[in-house]
Amino acid sequence: MLEVKTAMSEKPEKKKTASEKVEEFKEILSTFSTEAPALIKSIIASVFSEEAGRNMGKAAAAFYKELKDSGMPDNVAVKMTEDYIGVFTSLGDILKRAGEKGKFAMSPEKKEELERRIREKIAEKRIEEAEEEEE
Amino acid sequence: MGKSRSPLLVSFIGGIPAITRLLGSLFIIWLTLGWKVRKAKKAFEKELIKQGMSKQDAERISARYAALKDQAMTAFKRSIRLFP
Repeated sequence: MLEVKTAMSEKPEKKKTASEKVEEFKEILSTFSTEAPALIKSIIASVFSEEAGRNMGKAAAAFYKELKDSGMPDNVAVKMTEDYIGVFTSLGDILKRAGEKGKFAMSPEKKEELERRIREKIAEKRIEEAEEEEE
Repeated sequence: MGKSRSPLLVSFIGGIPAITRLLGSLFIIWLTLGWKVRKAKKAFEKELIKQGMSKQDAERISARYAALKDQAMTAFKRSIRLFP
């Protein structure tokens, strides 16, 4: 048993021959050539299909309708709806900038200061609400 | 009979059909992208007009939606330049 074990552990790793490497490369390339276009198509379909456009339109239309029902003038409602849609288009810019230089990465000191300021604002608001309730 | 072919040459020749298929698919995607964006834009405008928005305003807003396509193409071209 021991002899078998040592024989197995001493067996050298089989090196790939050139033809095996070629076959492997061809297989990888073939898989990539079928999978990559399918992936790109599905990503495009999720954003630029007729259904995706209709859904986005419904969301924007609902937003516009709510603004109009609340009594907002037409030109203001249109501008706000445009800005609402602009959020989705500028999201790409935001993500791009965040990925490029990590501009949205905050230092620990800044994070602490931001948390402190948020807590102060919340405390101020609570005091105001308490005062209003007393009155 | 010993055939001495460079493995690199063999792998390149063997990969031509896959590369051709990949480039062909990407070309078709690029061709149909404009048409798909137009269809999505029309559907988008139709929903806005249903809620009482004027055609002009709906077209202006849908232009912002279609701008995503330009952003995606720019990002794709930038990624190709960075690839090597």
